[in-house]
Amino acid sequence: MKQKKSPYLATCTVVLIILAILFIFPLYWIVTGSVKDKTDILIKAGQAVQWFPLSPTGTNYDKLMNTTIAWPLFGAAFRVPAAVKWLFNSVFISVMAMLLTCVTASLAGYTLAKKQFYGKGFIFALFVCAMALPKQVILIPLVSLAKILGLSESAWSVIFPVVGWPFGVFLMKQFSETIPSSLLEAARIDGASELRTFWDVAVPIIKPGIGALAIFTFISAWNEYPLQLVMLHKTEVKTIALGIAGLQAEMSTDYGLIMAGAALGAVPIIIIFLLFQKYFTQGITMGAVKG
Amino acid sequence: MAQFATSRSRALRRRETAVSYLFLLPALAIFSCFVVTPMVMGLVTSFTDSHMGGSKFVGLDNYIRLFQDPKFLRSAWNTVFIVLISVPVVTAFSLWVGSAIYRMKAGIRSFFRCVFYLPVVTGSVAVVVVWKWMFNTYNGLFNYVGTSTGLMTKGIDWLGDSRFAIWCILIILFTTSIGQPIVLYVAALGNVDQTLIEAAQVDGTSDLQTFWKIKWPSIMPTTLYVVVITTINSFQCFALIQLLTSGGPNYHTSTVMYLLYETAFKNFQYGYADAMGVVLALVIALFSALQFKVMNGGTTE
Amino acid sequence: MKKFLALILSVLMLVGVLAGCGSSKTNTTTSSGSSDKVSLTWWAFPTFGTDGAYEKEVIAAFNAVHPEITIDLVTIDFTSGPEALTSAIEGGTAPDILFDAPGRIIQYGRAGKLVSLDDLFTSDFVKDVNNEALLNSCKADGTAYMYPVSAAPFYMGLNKEMLEKANALQYVNLTGDRTWTTDNFIKMCEALRDANAAQTPGIVYCGAQGGDQGTRALVNNLYSSRIIDASGKWNIDEKGVKALTLLQSMVSNKSLDAGMSYAAADELQQFQAQTCAMTFCWGTSNAKNYASKDYTAISVPFPSDDGVPELEYLVNGFCVFNNGSDAKAAAAKTFLKFICDDSQWGPKSVVKTGAFPVRASFGNLYQGNDEMTLLSSWTKYYGTYYNTTPNFSAMRTEWWNMLQRVFQGGAPAAEAQTFNTNSNAAH
Repeated sequence: MKQKKSPYLATCTVVLIILAILFIFPLYWIVTGSVKDKTDILIKAGQAVQWFPLSPTGTNYDKLMNTTIAWPLFGAAFRVPAAVKWLFNSVFISVMAMLLTCVTASLAGYTLAKKQFYGKGFIFALFVCAMALPKQVILIPLVSLAKILGLSESAWSVIFPVVGWPFGVFLMKQFSETIPSSLLEAARIDGASELRTFWDVAVPIIKPGIGALAIFTFISAWNEYPLQLVMLHKTEVKTIALGIAGLQAEMSTDYGLIMAGAALGAVPIIIIFLLFQKYFTQGITMGAVKG
Repeated sequence: MAQFATSRSRALRRRETAVSYLFLLPALAIFSCFVVTPMVMGLVTSFTDSHMGGSKFVGLDNYIRLFQDPKFLRSAWNTVFIVLISVPVVTAFSLWVGSAIYRMKAGIRSFFRCVFYLPVVTGSVAVVVVWKWMFNTYNGLFNYVGTSTGLMTKGIDWLGDSRFAIWCILIILFTTSIGQPIVLYVAALGNVDQTLIEAAQVDGTSDLQTFWKIKWPSIMPTTLYVVVITTINSFQCFALIQLLTSGGPNYHTSTVMYLLYETAFKNFQYGYADAMGVVLALVIALFSALQFKVMNGGTTE
Repeated sequence: MKKFLALILSVLMLVGVLAGCGSSKTNTTTSSGSSDKVSLTWWAFPTFGTDGAYEKEVIAAFNAVHPEITIDLVTIDFTSGPEALTSAIEGGTAPDILFDAPGRIIQYGRAGKLVSLDDLFTSDFVKDVNNEALLNSCKADGTAYMYPVSAAPFYMGLNKEMLEKANALQYVNLTGDRTWTTDNFIKMCEALRDANAAQTPGIVYCGAQGGDQGTRALVNNLYSSRIIDASGKWNIDEKGVKALTLLQSMVSNKSLDAGMSYAAADELQQFQAQTCAMTFCWGTSNAKNYASKDYTAISVPFPSDDGVPELEYLVNGFCVFNNGSDAKAAAAKTFLKFICDDSQWGPKSVVKTGAFPVRASFGNLYQGNDEMTLLSSWTKYYGTYYNTTPNFSAMRTEWWNMLQRVFQGGAPAAEAQTFNTNSNAAH
């Protein structure tokens, strides 16, 4: 099939591998750091770097699991380590944001890409301009807004702003551009309703885009620290990032704790990432109709 | 791009409009409520001298003051510098990586894709902690390796030296920025019409030409997205700076976003901070509009 | 994919709704003016400890006496807590009670966000505290906004083993209250440098705002200068400039190092890792957090040219936010009086903060602890608390930037001038 230019490909692979090592290193450091005693993480004067944890200890994770809170579920209150509840909160926020965004953004992106309607230019410009505005500016107004809507201290106060953020719409619009209009025409001629056209024709084509969006939204909701910070204060609604930060005493950066929290927090994200990778499958056939 | 036949009746367009807005409704509703409303509130505040003790309308005073403020001008310059460097580098690099790995076996491809996405996965705080350690003057990894291999005579204060600090920020920004574009490029390249490529190969065109003539236009929408998003992310680079250098040394790594945060949350001058935000937003919007024009990502009416 | 997504969606909706229902039940903030039950929110920085255990104990004890007042505890940290507070205050979700230090509290008070606590500053209380500087640190424009419970000085920490190695211990005064002179400080740093006992004798951190009370105290004590002038404006005087010049030269001749990218926490870490032999940010909680079996820390006050230091100090205390309800304000004050003044819980609270009681009547709560006795002997060296001066937060931002410029080679006099101008600039 393709003529492989061997030297080029070989150098590519070597460079990629070197870069891969550099990129994996932080995660490696975080995971090994989470099982080190917090003072061993730093390089102490006159001592060699501990590339590999010499005496792995579970103290950091213990500290993490130390605080327990009550979790009222199905009427009964279970006592769970706070870290578990925080992890659940993060997962809940991210998953809900992901699902809602995929639905709303794909509908909106498809519409902006493929449909003609009055006010289209204005709406799109509005979306793009909103992306340009720094989040810090709307942080405080959002707090007032959340209070008015009764969403304070609730996961939804973080979910809705994330869903509302127009990046998803923009991404879906770009992906939807690749849908051949001829296919849509064909479906219309066949008498399919708009929704049916969307679901049967458009969605399969933009599936990789939806997959990408799902992951991006999950991660951006997960990492949305400023928003979580100002909306969620009570222990039981905190996310894992907030929870870890709260375990720091003044002016004392407990690296071991941070590493443990980061390692714990990275696990769900990696799982989701691996799960959704299959939706990036390339080679989706574009259909028989050629334009 | 399909051209709507001129014989379309206005009734059809009206029907299209109805359906379009119906489809747009969920996104638009949440967007208007949770993005536009606070945006407007922020805009209004930028015309006041709002601070913790109260608020008074001052018209354009904040904006005038901005352009005479050396901190703001310095931050603005840093911001533009970061954008001008990171956007081309990130785009080019992720395109290169994407094209190198999208044809690989599924397993290897997934591996590389995952690896480059890792910095995003592990979250800001942990990433910054690791990098901060690596850049540490006394016992950081870079100085340790540098001095023990004889490359340097003594350690460099990476983050404290105004010559190097911003490059450190750029490097970290780079590692956290390329994950998303790589994922997108791999998907987009995979979606390029295979028949066209095969046809070109039958015609005997070289790999490079195939790339520019066929693949590049096909992935243009993706490229536009990558460029715009990277620009916006670079313009709004903040958490990194807050955790690593607090804008120092001497505002040499301060960006407009960081100055905004400092003004609002450390000096409690909300009105002035919001004005900064508005100016930043306008600049970003301008950049984005330019990028759209240049790339013409098919957003024509 | 459709089925998969639908399944996930429904499961999560179910769990979410249930979890949401569950947690919203605990979110009761019944704000009432008429009924007897009052519900308050209390935000606490981790001064009592990072897990909120002590706070919960006190609340339980309080509820035994006052069951009609429920208190919801929220713990916040120092890194992002201030931001959360600002957003909450401006967004309308401020707490009722805050446990913090004067820096922020007085700012909020001046901005009109707090309830006046003048009625808690009874003449008995004032006599018991017997320290005007401390009492003034709790007031803004004459009104009291913070009810203090404990205070502790900020001081320096030295690494004993490193000093011994460099034969520099002779310059440190280990007798009495350990006050020492600027000259001896310089000699100690030079001895450390010459003996190469540490990678650097000390780091003057100036990379961020945190811990600036340490560098302020350092600069202000070297030649007994102040950073406010008689009219209450920020002003580094010539003696301050002299101190900055000294530090600048010490950095050039390597008897100190400039921590351009170092916040206090980083400097403390280096002290713990024994990269440097001293820290300028020592305090009771830092001494606990950064202790290590690898070295012995010596606590000393800041060196001064006349041997009489003026120390900065921390004050821990409470404030009450004005959330529009008199009932809540009254209930909050009742709680404040309980946690600070109760014969059993007051002293307990003080000890939990690791600081010294503001009330002389509590006596010496650390009997037999030599270290604590030494620290409490420094109460007479408490200087002005700068928080009550206007533009305190602007000054803090200017301070570390000014230090950076000086250490980059700027002329101290000129940089001090810039500092003065910028700090006093009307917001």
